[in-house]
Parts: sequence; C-alpha cells; structure tokens
Amino acid sequence: MSGAVNDRRRINGPARSVEPIYTPTVLDSVAKGRSDGRGLDHMRPIYAKAGPISDAQTTASASGSAFYEQGSIRISCAVYGPRSARKPNARRAHFVCDFQYAPFACSKRSPTQSTDEHETSLWLSNTVGPAIRLEMYPKSSIDAYVTVIESDGKMATLAATINCISLALADAGIETYDTVAACSMGLRDSQWIVDCTHQENAECSVLVAYMPSVDEVTGVLQTGKTTLEVHEQGVQLCTNVCVRVYAVICRALQASVE
Amino acid sequence: MASTEQLTFAIETFKRIHPVEFQRRFLSQDTRHDGRAFLQFRATHVVKGTIGTAQGSATVRIGNTTVVCGIKAEVSEPDVNTPDQGYLATNVDLSPICSANYRPGAPGDEAQVDSEHIFRLFGEVVDLKQLCIENDQAVWSLSADIVCLKSDGNVLDAAIIALMAAVEDLKLPQASLDPATGVVSANKAIETQLTLRKRLFPATFSLVDDAYLVADADDAEERLTTATLLVVLDDQGHLANVWKRGAGTIDRPTIARCIAEAKNRQNVVSSALE
Repeated sequence: MSGAVNDRRRINGPARSVEPIYTPTVLDSVAKGRSDGRGLDHMRPIYAKAGPISDAQTTASASGSAFYEQGSIRISCAVYGPRSARKPNARRAHFVCDFQYAPFACSKRSPTQSTDEHETSLWLSNTVGPAIRLEMYPKSSIDAYVTVIESDGKMATLAATINCISLALADAGIETYDTVAACSMGLRDSQWIVDCTHQENAECSVLVAYMPSVDEVTGVLQTGKTTLEVHEQGVQLCTNVCVRVYAVICRALQASVE
Repeated sequence: MASTEQLTFAIETFKRIHPVEFQRRFLSQDTRHDGRAFLQFRATHVVKGTIGTAQGSATVRIGNTTVVCGIKAEVSEPDVNTPDQGYLATNVDLSPICSANYRPGAPGDEAQVDSEHIFRLFGEVVDLKQLCIENDQAVWSLSADIVCLKSDGNVLDAAIIALMAAVEDLKLPQASLDPATGVVSANKAIETQLTLRKRLFPATFSLVDDAYLVADADDAEERLTTATLLVVLDDQGHLANVWKRGAGTIDRPTIARCIAEAKNRQNVVSSALE
C-alpha cells in the first residue's frame, strides 16, 4: 500500500493505493527443488563492474563506483571520499552509508520502506565500516551512496549491497583491511539453501559478512527462529560461500584495472 | 622577480584547474572537447523491460548519461471529479549516485522542476481514461519514477525518452472489481498495453559561454552553459513543447534553428525507441 503522505516536493498520486490481488499463475506454484533449477548451494550468477560512474571523469564524478548484479538483483553504488568532513574527527575518518531503494525496486511498495532504509543504512555503516582503515584518513569523511535498482529477496539484496559497497570502496582506492564479501541463506525444510529469491520465501534466513583474508566476520543478521545448532551450521555454511563471492569480487576488481 | 615563462600543463591538469579556458580552446576552433560537431548528439541507446519488479520499465543511455525509468501500477479509487480517469505520477530522482552536485534525501530544486515539467508533458501522452477499471470505483494508479544512475549532462532528454519507452513497455494485467468485497483482482496471464495519444521526442540545445550553440551538452559543457533550450516534437513533427531555461538570452533565429535540428533528432530517437 502506498504511503498516504502528501509530499510537497514530489508529484503525488492518489493518497491511498493498493496492489490488486494477483490470481496465481502456473509459474507461482511451488516446484520441487528450486524454480530456476539451481543447486541448493549455488548462488545466482554474479556480474560485477567496478568504476562505471567514476570512469566518466566528469568534475562531479564519484571517487569510486560499482555496479553489481546477482540474478535479477541490481545495485549501483557511488563512493565519495576521502573528502573534508563537516564535523572533523582528528583521529579517524567518518564513514557513512546512505541506502535507498529505487521506488520501483521492490515487488511490493510498503509504507515502512523509508524506516527500513534508515535502519539498513546504519547497519551497512556498521558492517562495512570496520573493514576500512579509518585512522588513515583523519578529519575526512567517506560517503557511500547505494541505490537498489531491482530487488529480489530481502536478505539476498542486503548481501549483494555489501558486496557492491566493498567493490566501490576498492575502486575508490580507500585502504581497507580486506574486501567484505557477504552472502545469505534461507532455511527450508530444515535445510539451508543459498541465496533465496523473493519467491523462495524462507521463514528463517541468515546473512554473514566476512573478510576471508583476515578471517573475521563483520556482520551477522538472522531473521526468523531456529535452534542454536542449526543457526551455527547456517553461519558456517554461509561463511564458506562468502569465500566464493570474495573470489568473484576480486576478479571484477582485477578486470577493472586491466 | 618571478620568471614570465608561460606555465605548461598536462591536459588533465589544465582541464581541472581551468575548465572554462579548456572548453574555449575547443569551441573557438569549431569543435568540442569530445570531438563532436556542434549540433551532434551522442549515441543513444534504449532498452525496454529492464526491471522485472516494475510493470513497465526502460533504461536509456545518451553517451555516459544513464537513466532508468520504472512504472509501478497499483489500484485506487478515482478522484470524485474524474471518476473514469486513473493517475500517472512522474518523478525524477537525482541523487549523489549520479553526481556530486546532488544531496541525498528529499528531491532538490532541479529534480522538482524536472518532475513537474515531465508531468505536464506526459499529461498529453497518456489517456488517463484507459486506466479505468470500474467507473467511479477502481482505477489504475501509475507511479513512474525516473532514476538517474550516471549524469554526464542532458539528464532531461534521457529522462523523457526513458519515460516514453517505459510507457510503451507498460503491460497492465487484466483487472476486475468484485462488487461484493470491493477487492480488485488482476490476472497476469492477460495483459494489455496502453494506446498512447502521441509520442514525444526531445532535443536539448545549450548556449555555451554565451556564444556557441551546442546540442546535447555533456557535464563539462553544462557548467559553462548560460541558457538551455528543450524542444519536444510529437510524431507528426509538430511542436509539443519548447522550454527555455537559464538566465542567458537566445535570439529567435537560433531558436528556429534548434527546432529545425530537433526534427533530425526525432528520427534518431524514434528508431532508438523501436
């Protein structure tokens, strides 16, 4: 349901609008295995490009940028910095993540989308921030602006966002301890499956953001409930997949330099 | 006493610290810094149906400027005064993603002005009566959002072409209202497209440095632009819209020349939209 706020700065449609009830089509029926024929531990194909915006070399272009695709998830990130901070901290840089969904990105527009965006921005700053060597850039600020152009599965989109930001940071030449790679898993019939799409609605899912070179986890997110053993198993499996994602991101960075 | 030798710079450095002079060096020699002729537009590419979650979408690239438009369709009650008309809300989103000129958060001045202008333009394109599901009870409400992903000048042209392509791509599922429950159900298996009243083809011209008329200015040229002229033609080649922005003046022969050039541009855009 679209929000009822009358925003003066935008062209507004009607105050209230809802999605029609879509009659289920043949495609929606639950299929055995996965609807796109992937294995249970296969991620969707990733396409990552570093520097699509910053390469334009206009005077107002970003220091680093990345465009990331995972299946039908599409995310664009621009990193500005290090640039002078408004409230400079003499010891370290100030890292801020600004996350937003494009209005057409989700299959359903929800009124809580904007609070979601705030919460996600904060969470991203705390997940990707620890990887950056902030002490190397005192009195400056590093800003990452992320726009999700198309989303497919909430946890998977979050994981993809982290990958995108890591790629953009590296493209900007900002010193980090390591590139953060993230991936998500969903629990279905007490089995963990990697990278769930929106259709594969898992009641319980876990997301892990991991730095393989230093073997450190920067963020873990779980939704839904499960036993401790199953949760630990999920986190371990997720971490293993993160290493594979890391390889893809590194290859994309290599390709951008060549 | 400092030496009076002329300082020499590498091209990139000169471009950075003397942007105006840099552009003048090219313009005074009848050429542009990217090698284009004065009235030459950049290569334009349109791809429809790029966003799976939107009912209609398109991605447009003009040179380095990339813009994506997504149209989402929802259902709502019509306005009391127009019981058989739906809604079309168009919004342009300019964020720090595309350029450092924009601040995050609520739409800035440029975005608001562009949104309003495009909204009025497309009032002539889409027949809102086609969005009616059930007279006086349920209509489609289209939210068209144009997000700029990369800005290298002339975002407005790209935005108009993107919205044009997205509206042509829009597929509305067949909807029916259940009179007992008041719930609208839609069947994705049967989809209809809108029949548009007219199609629009934009062309933007800029007066750079108050002296040179260029078509499709990129970011570096836009910084020196004193006046911009947007010419929008419809499929018959008639003028749908002329919009002059900027404090500089453009004389009438120049405007006539722009309108004539816009006709050439119309053919290019028309084939790109196919």
